[in-house]
Amino acid sequence: MRHLPDLSRRRLLIGGAALGAGAVLTGCTSNDSGDDDNNAQVNTGNNNANAAPGKQVTIGFSAPAADHGWIAAITNNAKAQADTYSDVEFKTVEAGADAAAQRAALQTLISQKPDVIVLLPHDGKELNAFGLSAMQAGIPVVNLDRAFPDAKAYRLQIKGDNYGMGVSAAAYIVAQMKAKGVSAPVIGEIAGMDELELTQERSKGFADTLAQAGFRVANRRAARFTADTGQQEAASLLQALPKLDALWNHDDDQGIGVLAAISQANRSEFVMVGGAGSKAAIEAIQADNSVLKATVTYSPSMASSAISLARLIAQGRGMSDLVELQVPKEITLASETITKENAGNYLKLGF
Amino acid sequence: MTSPEVNDAAVVLKLEDVVKTFPGVRALDGVQLEVRAGEVHCLLGQNGAGKSTLIKVLSGVHRPDEGRIEWLGGEFKPANPQSAMKAGIATIYQELDLVDDLSVAENAFLGHEPRRFGFVRRGYMSRHTRKILTRLGHGEIPPGRMVRSLPAAGKQVVSMARALSHDAKLIIMDEPSAVLAHDEVGNLFRIIRDLTSNGIAVIYISHRLEEIREIGDRVTVLKDGRTTAANLPARTTPTRDLVSRMTGRTIEYVFPEQSTQDRGEELLRVDGLGRTGEFADISLTVHSGEIVGIAGLVGSGRSELLETIFGARRPESGTVTVAGKALRPGSVGAAVRAGLGMAPEERKSQALLLGEPIYRNVTLATFTGYARGGFTNAGKEIAEASRIADALELRPRDVRKPVRTLSGGNQQKVVVGRWLLGDTKLLLLDEPTRGVDVGARAELYQVIRDLAARGVGVLLVSSEVPEVLGLADRVLVMREGRVVREAPAGELDEDTVLDLVMAGSLQAEEVTL
Amino acid sequence: MTTTQTAAPPANEKPAETRSWWRDDASEPLRRNLALFAVLILLIIIGIATRPDLYSDSTWVRNNIFTILELASVIGVVTVGMTFVIIGGGIDLSVGAIVALAGVWSTTLATQSYGAGGMIFCALAVGIGVGVVNGILIAYGRLVAFIATLAILVAARGLAAQISGKQTQVSTNTFINDIAANDLLGIPLLVYILAAVVAAGWVLLNRTTFGRRTVAVGGNVEAARLAGINVKRHTLLLYALSGLCCGIAAIMLTSQATSAQAAMANLYELDAIAAAIIGGTLLSGGRGTIIGSLLGVIVFATITNLFAINNLSTEVQNMVKGGIIVAAVLVQQFRYKSLSQLFNRA
Repeated sequence: MRHLPDLSRRRLLIGGAALGAGAVLTGCTSNDSGDDDNNAQVNTGNNNANAAPGKQVTIGFSAPAADHGWIAAITNNAKAQADTYSDVEFKTVEAGADAAAQRAALQTLISQKPDVIVLLPHDGKELNAFGLSAMQAGIPVVNLDRAFPDAKAYRLQIKGDNYGMGVSAAAYIVAQMKAKGVSAPVIGEIAGMDELELTQERSKGFADTLAQAGFRVANRRAARFTADTGQQEAASLLQALPKLDALWNHDDDQGIGVLAAISQANRSEFVMVGGAGSKAAIEAIQADNSVLKATVTYSPSMASSAISLARLIAQGRGMSDLVELQVPKEITLASETITKENAGNYLKLGF
Repeated sequence: MTSPEVNDAAVVLKLEDVVKTFPGVRALDGVQLEVRAGEVHCLLGQNGAGKSTLIKVLSGVHRPDEGRIEWLGGEFKPANPQSAMKAGIATIYQELDLVDDLSVAENAFLGHEPRRFGFVRRGYMSRHTRKILTRLGHGEIPPGRMVRSLPAAGKQVVSMARALSHDAKLIIMDEPSAVLAHDEVGNLFRIIRDLTSNGIAVIYISHRLEEIREIGDRVTVLKDGRTTAANLPARTTPTRDLVSRMTGRTIEYVFPEQSTQDRGEELLRVDGLGRTGEFADISLTVHSGEIVGIAGLVGSGRSELLETIFGARRPESGTVTVAGKALRPGSVGAAVRAGLGMAPEERKSQALLLGEPIYRNVTLATFTGYARGGFTNAGKEIAEASRIADALELRPRDVRKPVRTLSGGNQQKVVVGRWLLGDTKLLLLDEPTRGVDVGARAELYQVIRDLAARGVGVLLVSSEVPEVLGLADRVLVMREGRVVREAPAGELDEDTVLDLVMAGSLQAEEVTL
Repeated sequence: MTTTQTAAPPANEKPAETRSWWRDDASEPLRRNLALFAVLILLIIIGIATRPDLYSDSTWVRNNIFTILELASVIGVVTVGMTFVIIGGGIDLSVGAIVALAGVWSTTLATQSYGAGGMIFCALAVGIGVGVVNGILIAYGRLVAFIATLAILVAARGLAAQISGKQTQVSTNTFINDIAANDLLGIPLLVYILAAVVAAGWVLLNRTTFGRRTVAVGGNVEAARLAGINVKRHTLLLYALSGLCCGIAAIMLTSQATSAQAAMANLYELDAIAAAIIGGTLLSGGRGTIIGSLLGVIVFATITNLFAINNLSTEVQNMVKGGIIVAAVLVQQFRYKSLSQLFNRA
């Protein structure tokens, strides 16, 4: 289970920060972020004005126990980013198994008097009240990925764009089909867990964008973000569509199974687009030896960005590339499309 | 002697030519029955004679195909068991149909709880239940007690309380004594007498002629779904007559000849065996070719003793030695390997795989021996089981049929037959004739005798004293977990044994049992 | 002495027993399986009717049969073990978790360094090992099977997550990965494995003392004990067998997905139980068939396939599955109990 549905449809995108602000922060940096073991995505910010040490701050962090590579990457990234700052003390509490456990963990975090809290809630709705009370107590809250319904409950919200993932995937496929001159392509879709709102958003973005080009999804199977279900659903889908032009798989983790099913069925006549942007997927795209030609990001790098921005918030500083004196209130990361051409740039962002 | 009052009392129930067919079977094929107010009318018949079907017709479970039932002067056509209950006919089944996790009062009023404004009147229900229980001579049972915690006799009283809570005018009792010990049977009879003196009619079904003699007024005999004799006086009709009407031929309730052969070497030696709360300091021996009988009531520790010898329970003290070798305690496997076999008390729940074919039940303890390299040998098993089926005159003879389809007596033959295969030296039999009809009983007695004649030792437990005395060479009397008397069967008579079993506290009416 | 020669007619006490051969118990497995065959044929007919374009291509049809069988293969192997456990009077809720743990353990970098043999050995050992733990808890610790295997389900998934560091572990072993990718004589290897496990299961249940003891222990545990059968040891062996099947399934699933992770084989316990139940295995134990379970698995896989080729959503598919389970259990009850009651009410 990953990124629970965004509960707030509010997209208060601020100025130029709207598009890919997080990616700018991480992506524009030098390449010497190091080849550390846990493959964390950090912004060392050597040539960034914001990198200059400020007043000493304590950042409290809480995220659910990882049950998926993406969440594991979130926690790793946050910690690694905090380690790059000499002026940050990083305090983390694991959120336990559910919202109640996370609430309890956060209370112990509060008692350690952090200057700012970065929080990936189990459920935005259920932890909304915590956000409110912390904000009222004067501790700024940075919400990561799972929005609070109440705007007063957070100082900053930074999250990925599920609908945008579908849009990007579809846009890539439409471009490919146009380039190949396929007028009525057979398009398949392997979704993630269907009961999650984020899956629905992704599929909606995909279908809407395809429709603009006059295309539609010929067959859609929902897997469960695991490789074995990805394999099974892909095997079924390939059997249902003896000829396929394009395939979008929502999640690169389950994509391991999807790619296995494709090779087991000896199929190669189509192009495949992945989702989320795992390291393995980016490497495969770069190597260009499979049907996987692109993936659309939903990057856990947002955790690194969240820590950077939390530090600035605590220090009362703005983002040096923006005119505003303070950090914006909401940042939605653009879902970018990684292809063979730009894979090299993104490799260090893969999780 | 049938009392003159009964003969004069009004007929409450009258069945004329009642027929009930099931696909392929005429379960009832012209049954006549006449029950008068205030009498105990006994229904006699072998297993399969149609008694159960008749009960179900009367209690509204089945509807008859033909014939007429009159109840209190009107035609009786109950749509379901509830309407039969409402009409005043209550049935107490052999397997008491109580809800274990409800209280005594809740069970007594199950399905017709007194209500006010939709709420159960618990206080009223409790008071009324207490009144009924007192009337049944069991005022000591608290109405609020969970039925689960009651002994079998107590549960039966609750069943009767349920019947009375419906204001029943006819109570049908299906083998009520089967679940009771002797002293409890006396109590049951007292209750029945109290009911009948208040004008309530009772239809009493039992395999035990002694009980019928004691409690019954008149007897109707069924055979193959037909009434073969109606309204015989219960006390004076000779046994021979009753049995011949049940079986179609004269049968003497006679045990096979005592074997005259000398008993062989010692097979089983039990020394100081004990389990807290069950039995203590039991010592006994069984020799090859000898039948040792244990007489005792339910709760005297006799079944527990047998199970402990067989390794199904672990002894807390004492030893079991088989053919000179100490038996590993608490291991059935070791006991079986040492040549012990047991036919437990509860056939269906302890001994049989009801859905499996006869032959697999017969070979349940021996199939590993016929197997080669772990593969079963069905052909050999069927052949061996068929041999046993022939020897025991099993009906049906086809050993591929499921055991479920067999009568109680034939099922018991399967259980005993299991230990005729293989190398059984000592057979432990716990109530081998419970729920077995008269004909099959005699056959089982013969089987047991034949086994002893072949040198098998037999340790037999039974609540029926005549059975122990008639079969055993030597008798042990158990009371409250201890052996109180051991003697050759010839030196004991029924009265003596009963006296010992019940510790001399007998009342006249129970002695005749 | 004299004895009665009157054949005690059991018939009028048990009216439902007098039946034609068709109602005879001997034909019971045949009838039960026929019903499932009928369902299978119905599903195929629906498939042909809804997608005549696909079904008109014989190569596609052949591929489709193998797709269905491959889909059924992993869960089929698990179901064989589950069928033994249920016939033996137990239940194993931990099968999915064991598959995941075995899969994860055998795909750690350390294990993969030992090659395919090491991975296979590891998966089988983990499967049997967890099964033995189940068996010890149930047979010797006297825990209720439902609770013991539920606890192991939670613990095994936790351990799998711990070992994998919550990551998807990719199998780089080509031998393992090729199992799912390769054919022999045009038939996928996974189908051979399923066939072998089913055949072995059938022989084990119907032709060996192990199978006989399973039926005895599940049918009447007290009768089995009093006949000298070592019930505890047999119970332990049943769960070990289920664990072994899970270990085999873990290799198959790892090969299919070319990876393993802690969340894999999600809810396989329910799929396996459901397949066994619609295959005619009594949940109370003592009765069941391997062929019935296999057909149950294939019916479910065919439904999945039918929904996939018609691009219908998983939600409806799950509802249909649930309906089939209910219908199958109702049919069983009707067959075993209600026949006589039905006549009585008439």
